[in-house]
Amino acid sequence: MMCKSKKKKDSKHETNFMNSSSAFPDEVLERVLSMVKSRKDRSSVSLVCKEWYNAERWSRKNVFIGNCYSVTPEILTRRFPNIRSVTLKGKPRFSDFNLVPANWGADIHPWLVVFAEKYPFLEELKLKRMFVTDESLEFLAFSFPNFKALSLLSCDGFSTDGLAAVATYCKNLTELDIQENGIDDKNGNWLSCFPESFTSLEVLNFANLNNDVNFDALEKLVGRCKSLKTLKVNKSITLEQLQRLLVRAPQLCELGTGSFSQELTCQQHSELKRAFNNCKSLHTLSGLWVASTQYLEVLYPACTNLTFLNFSYAPLDSEDLSKLLVHCPNLRRLWVVDTVEDKGLEAVGTYCPLLEELRVFPADPFDEGVAHGVTESGFIAVSEGCRKLHYVLYFCRQMTNAAVATVVQNCPDFTHFRLCIMTPGQPDYLTDEPMDEAFGAVVKNCTKLQRLAVSGSLTDLTFEYIGRHAKNLETLSVAFAGSSDWGMQCVLYGCPKLRKLEIRDSPFGNAALFSGLGKYESMRSLWMSDCKVTMNGCRFVAQERPRLNVEVINEEGGDDSRAERVYIYRSVAGPRRDAPPFVLTL
Amino acid sequence: MELQLGLALPIHSSIDGFNHSGSGCSENKKYVKNKRSYEESFGHFLKPLPLLVWSGQPNEEDDRNKKMNTNIHTSNNEGENHLVGWPPIKSWRKKELHDQQHHGHIRIDHRMQGNENQDRRLRPLYVKVNMEGVAIGRQVNLRLYNSYHTLKDSLINMFVKYQNFEEDGVNYTLIFQNKQGDWLLTEHIPWQSFIGTVRRLAILGNEKMKIFDKY
Repeated sequence: MMCKSKKKKDSKHETNFMNSSSAFPDEVLERVLSMVKSRKDRSSVSLVCKEWYNAERWSRKNVFIGNCYSVTPEILTRRFPNIRSVTLKGKPRFSDFNLVPANWGADIHPWLVVFAEKYPFLEELKLKRMFVTDESLEFLAFSFPNFKALSLLSCDGFSTDGLAAVATYCKNLTELDIQENGIDDKNGNWLSCFPESFTSLEVLNFANLNNDVNFDALEKLVGRCKSLKTLKVNKSITLEQLQRLLVRAPQLCELGTGSFSQELTCQQHSELKRAFNNCKSLHTLSGLWVASTQYLEVLYPACTNLTFLNFSYAPLDSEDLSKLLVHCPNLRRLWVVDTVEDKGLEAVGTYCPLLEELRVFPADPFDEGVAHGVTESGFIAVSEGCRKLHYVLYFCRQMTNAAVATVVQNCPDFTHFRLCIMTPGQPDYLTDEPMDEAFGAVVKNCTKLQRLAVSGSLTDLTFEYIGRHAKNLETLSVAFAGSSDWGMQCVLYGCPKLRKLEIRDSPFGNAALFSGLGKYESMRSLWMSDCKVTMNGCRFVAQERPRLNVEVINEEGGDDSRAERVYIYRSVAGPRRDAPPFVLTL
Repeated sequence: MELQLGLALPIHSSIDGFNHSGSGCSENKKYVKNKRSYEESFGHFLKPLPLLVWSGQPNEEDDRNKKMNTNIHTSNNEGENHLVGWPPIKSWRKKELHDQQHHGHIRIDHRMQGNENQDRRLRPLYVKVNMEGVAIGRQVNLRLYNSYHTLKDSLINMFVKYQNFEEDGVNYTLIFQNKQGDWLLTEHIPWQSFIGTVRRLAILGNEKMKIFDKY
């Protein structure tokens, strides 16, 4: 590829030298710029002058597209001819929570067709919330001989047959990462499709597939892939099988265990412990699923160097967690289920002083039993012990303004603060006041805040605070909050770096919508569902801003004047040509 | 005496661990603030009853009942009576944790084991119950019953335990709020239809019930 561009540039090269408008020959500039990795820096580089724009576009190898409808594959390939790695995000984030109907779009196939022609040397594809069919996966496997890494997160539309095609035909595959997708899990045969000559795998993640795989095939695969660094198996893998895998791959850095609950003999138990002991490079651990207390101790020897523990599918209790965390002094990121309760979080504060990220997921989000979950005391306990905390996702059933204020005083470096009080519109449970002061404290204390998700009973005051103080805010998620248009207006007027705004079930109407007219083109997208905007309001926005796509999704039989779900995003691609009937582009 | 608030019935009650730092109270304190939906829900029906003290107010969810119902029933095939997409947890994770719950891996006290009549494949149907004059409402899982009689007895027991009311169920009437938001007398529809449409329950004393005769 470098040769191709050089040939093209040779004649230009001489002209440039004679013009001396640029001090460097293009090749040098391209070489230098190829070392610029950050997307933002590259964007800045491309704006300097025409030579730099061209050098940048020829030297760019990776491209990230945050909204697949903001650009077409044709426009993309025209500007960047030498791409090796593409990251694409499709559906709006609220589709994760069933707020976007099926068959909405974000089909990867048209992209693959263009890439097959323009990027035949494509190596890497990372997709999030895209629609991917088996046909597309097969097409991928056949079209790109150098293909190395496939990552599918929250995608849907494909089955294990598609994975089989990838395993069979991608001879140079280094990464197969299948996470949390709406996949039709037919069987585990895909894993047996890796040819015996295949040895290049470095990352294999099939933790979220449920069917049994052929263990023999897996064991051999792991054995011959000497560069395997990440292995995340699914629930069907037993402890005994896990031990055999670990023996073959002691070099692993990231491990996702299978189910941790088989009955083991004493010998098997000690063999397993030894196997973990031999994994000196392990820094990430996940899985566990169903974890029997008595076997957790086999993990202890491997815990010293752990920086990321993902137990978000492992409902441990406080005791099990505490005993484990004693051995994890270097933990930076921890994901747990709220079965660990406040007591478990106290242990986090005690044993993990270097913690930077905490996510607590609810075991029982719909109140079907009497799961206690975590409260404000757990939150405070973590903040007292972990002063470096900068990312939190916290699901709880009760919270107070005072507790949140304490937390952000202890930890002023938050960049991501996502608090979900699970009952909509719930006030401070001690004072019965709205939770305005809690989020006020967050935005006042945490000047580096980039992402915020609010919950609980909130008036416009919360949004006044956000608009006034959250000057670095890029993403805001709002649900069941606010009192009037004024709230949303405060945010639109006050947050200069806002890129993504997603709102549901809040009393913001057309006036609020219009106040963002000057802003939406500088944002990636706006989502509003079950708010008060009307079709006419949306039409007005569409008229005033032709460079925005204004899309409305209405249920059948609903009120025709209301715009139930609105998705507004900037695009150079023009209106969607593949919109299903329920998506109206205005 | 500590007030035990929980999502289970007193007959199975030994919910020791649940009651800490008043965490149960939060569930019901949310009732206090929402005057708007109180009037919408109860005003048209209960204005002639000045003595009726509703200290338990419906929460915001009911306000959206009508709107949400379309969402719930079109988007959610399981027929749960929950808000669509709330709490915001990925479908995949929801399904995984739900499967773990129902295989007993999550140590949650379901208190569902006692009743043989219950169809275990059905997800529990929790509705909120308020009793006239009682500050704090409760929730009950209607799957545990198969007749108004047992339901009413159980409810009266539940409230009576903590208040000084007469245990005689004859003096109380059970009314319910259906999908459309209307309040109706329970005796008037068959049990199965009731289960299919009930959203909330309320227990009124019989003096108040005389007003209903006028309708």
